[in-house]
Amino acid sequence: MEEKTWNEEAKRPSAFKRAGRAVLRFFKKNEYIFSKIGFSLLTLALTTIFLFFLLRQIPGDIVDIYAQQLQYSRGLPYERAYELAVQLLNYNPNENIFAAFFRYVGGLLRGELGESYLQEGVSANLLIEQRLPWTLFISSVALFISFFLGVAIGGYVAQRRNGIANKIASGYIAVTGAIPDYLMALLMVTLFAYQLKIFPSQNNFDIFTVTPGFNIDFILNVLYHAALPILSSAIIQTGYWIMQMRGSCIGILGSDYIFSARARGLSERTIRKKYMNKNALLPLVASFGVAFGGLFGGSVLLESIFNYPGIGLEITARITSKDYVVVQGLVFFSAAMIIIVNLIVDLIYPLIDPRVKRG
Amino acid sequence: MQNEQTPLMQLKDINMHFKKPGLQLGSKNIHVLKDVNLDIYPGEIVAVIGESGCGKTTLGKIITGLFRPTSGEIWFDGKKVSGLFDKKINSYAQIQFIQQDSYAALNPVRTIYQSLYAPIKTMHRKWKKSQIDERIEELMSLIGLQPSEQFLTKYPHQLSGGQRQRILMARAISLDPKLIVADEPVSMIDVSLRLSLLNLMKELNAKLNMSFVYISHDLSTTRYIASSGRVCVMYLGEIVESGNIGDVIQTPRHPYTRALIQAVPIPDPRFKGEGKLPLKSMGVGSLESRTQGCAFEERCLYSCEKCFGSVKYVQTETASVLCNNLEAVPSHPIYKTD
Amino acid sequence: MEKTKNKSAFLTKTLEIFKKIGRGIKIFFTKMYSNKKSAIGFSIILLYVIVAIVGPLLFPYDSTVNTANKYLAPSLEHPFGTDWMGLDVFRQVISGTSSVLQVAFFTAFLSIALGTVLGILSGYVGGWVDRVIMTIVNIFLSVPSFPVYLMMAALFTIETPITMALMISIFSWAGLCRAIRVQVISLKESDFIQICRVMNMSTGHIIFKEIMPNLFSYIAVNFVLILRGSILASVGIMLVGLASYNPTDWGVIIQAARMRGLMNVNNVIIMLYPLVAILIFQIAALMLSQGLDETINPRLKVL
Repeated sequence: MEEKTWNEEAKRPSAFKRAGRAVLRFFKKNEYIFSKIGFSLLTLALTTIFLFFLLRQIPGDIVDIYAQQLQYSRGLPYERAYELAVQLLNYNPNENIFAAFFRYVGGLLRGELGESYLQEGVSANLLIEQRLPWTLFISSVALFISFFLGVAIGGYVAQRRNGIANKIASGYIAVTGAIPDYLMALLMVTLFAYQLKIFPSQNNFDIFTVTPGFNIDFILNVLYHAALPILSSAIIQTGYWIMQMRGSCIGILGSDYIFSARARGLSERTIRKKYMNKNALLPLVASFGVAFGGLFGGSVLLESIFNYPGIGLEITARITSKDYVVVQGLVFFSAAMIIIVNLIVDLIYPLIDPRVKRG
Repeated sequence: MQNEQTPLMQLKDINMHFKKPGLQLGSKNIHVLKDVNLDIYPGEIVAVIGESGCGKTTLGKIITGLFRPTSGEIWFDGKKVSGLFDKKINSYAQIQFIQQDSYAALNPVRTIYQSLYAPIKTMHRKWKKSQIDERIEELMSLIGLQPSEQFLTKYPHQLSGGQRQRILMARAISLDPKLIVADEPVSMIDVSLRLSLLNLMKELNAKLNMSFVYISHDLSTTRYIASSGRVCVMYLGEIVESGNIGDVIQTPRHPYTRALIQAVPIPDPRFKGEGKLPLKSMGVGSLESRTQGCAFEERCLYSCEKCFGSVKYVQTETASVLCNNLEAVPSHPIYKTD
Repeated sequence: MEKTKNKSAFLTKTLEIFKKIGRGIKIFFTKMYSNKKSAIGFSIILLYVIVAIVGPLLFPYDSTVNTANKYLAPSLEHPFGTDWMGLDVFRQVISGTSSVLQVAFFTAFLSIALGTVLGILSGYVGGWVDRVIMTIVNIFLSVPSFPVYLMMAALFTIETPITMALMISIFSWAGLCRAIRVQVISLKESDFIQICRVMNMSTGHIIFKEIMPNLFSYIAVNFVLILRGSILASVGIMLVGLASYNPTDWGVIIQAARMRGLMNVNNVIIMLYPLVAILIFQIAALMLSQGLDETINPRLKVL
């Protein structure tokens, strides 16, 4: 190495140091983002641990039960079945629990969520692929309908607080607040499906009359079957969004800048369009995002009542048939989606709300 | 007045840093107080004035023990103190605090009686209810809120601002403190009521020989209450001038104090001010990036190269002034008094 | 001399405590009835509680099956008619009230207790304690509660209302904990709490006598909300058939009627009775919580 002479060049730190400092500055500038991501990862990790150990609490010698079932369904000798059961369950009673956990996490990272022991080749991944779209279909349509309807109505009644519309809205909120979506579903099914026979009561489409695909018959049939689930869910949820939007708008309408807008002579319509809507919607968008995440939990009861083949129904069925490994995979998937969607909402929200600064 | 007594409380070379919140990857340090020295004698009223953000509230909180200074020493009653619950001081409640916002300083779900009862009970655990009631009655008559039953059963939001402020004073003196720090106690009160509150404080100071540290940004109330006491003028966390209040107001020596006094308009056509503030700029320095030299330099009309080095205190006949270039600053009285 | 003095001191002390409790109860009732909404809500819930306690005594449930009496129409003897096994529906509903309310109240008490303690701890102490508790809270808020309920219900059969309450509490305390923590943190920085430290008050006193009274209103409202939520959860679990420990519990009746086929109008009607009972309770709880909210926060009076 040459001797460093006392001049400008020698003062420059090495490239390595410069790179390191740049990385540090990058982290510091985006503190908010990284802390949120880190926190989500931590939550995800702890959720995994929680679910894993929850499953370990299964009473009875589950391996034995599985082995017997495998023996029966696949015609294997008992020892072979036992080995297979151990493999499928990721549960060797003789194995160290930490080693088992690490194996499980390894599998998770590879994308394996768990395999069923009842049917060969059926894994949680497959089920998600098959069932998730249906769940998302009815849940998100219901969510969107109720959100937009609720926001529109909420904004409308917030500006006419003493009118009859507001009283009706309050009554609606009170009633729908008291009825959970599944009870509403029961009522709807009883009334429209069983008694009046307008809508079908079960399933997502009629296997016998239509074939899946992009033909108009199929699509109409699907909509026909989806009508009641979506309707019952939407009716109840609309009440919630009306309440939220109305509350948010009333808060905004009471503020000083609205007062001065009125003093300046702006019409209620302009006020609504330019000030109220945007400001009131901000926190609601966050709620919407979170609600969207919650969709992945699947509306278990709704699907159970309509026998709609979604994730929720799948989880229920598999729980009763003791297919716990798949259940764990499905629940983990739901939890992971909720965490991820919440993270996205957290990251996007500062972009739309200038009051929440990053870092 | 400074006499040969030992000071009640001494702050020596107090420095206070705050960290900017957030992940500490290279934290930003806010240097709120710099090398503050203050002696408070028993029975004395010391006024601390300065603009918002100069650190006077922080100073008040350090004196009461709510903040621990980043460096420096605090001496109380001749003993060194480190923090609020120092065992050497038997119940640090000898230093009490009166807050600026009387509404926020009282627990909204507790009646006045309960708010006064609690601290007394904490201090005198063995007292019976009747004794505490007696003491509360004493206090209510001292602050002038009679008949007391009318006030004791009420909640804070049912009283007026002036009444609440008096309750705060009653609460502060209920623990027989030796020193009370009052943080802008009258700034949220109607002007017409301020006098009665200030008189009350002067009375307490005279009758009970309690020292007061009166923090404010308002010169007129300060002059009234510390009429025979000292004043410390703060700027950006440093005490730039301290001395007898009459002298400092009439003949301020530090350029900042001069600007401060001249900024107060006097509604008397005889006292025509100079029309412009003797300042170079209106920008206030930053607490995050302190230079080694004088913090006032960028606004000072009399700055020179000496002002970039570390600044020393100069003792004049009226005050102790933090300035390196004092000879250049005019020293005539601001307004001719008759 | 000493003994009698101690005895009378003891008696006066107990008398004082009773007087305090009496005053507390009076204040409690006055607060409940001060607002029209909360008055109605509270009265209805009170009615349910009375029915739960007294009902089975007045109208005992007799589980002898008598198929001859299948699907009788409502009459004086059977105000709600009979079901498919000839059992009186009215008495079933009455008998199930106790189990339903037990779940609701136990869950509420447990969740509130856990949420408040951890929320205050997390907010007041701060530091790593706060971070740990908040991470745990986050987990319970992220994991979808219902599938886990089903998992746990399948794994550990639910046999008593208390077990059910325990299970539902696991997910109910998290929201309350976070909200209380936020309030405690803001209270901690408030002037009147800071001055408590200057006045040398003990931490215990600050937490119990200064901070908690500020939280009472929030806790009261949440108590009612958890009552609602726990009934929803427990009925939901019963609808899937995983908690049939009490055949007269309302959720179980609904599930049984469903299983029997809702094509049959009779079954529908039988299902409606407990359903309406649930709905009325929910509406009452909603009104009570809104009423309490309004008394605490008069600015919220919308209508």
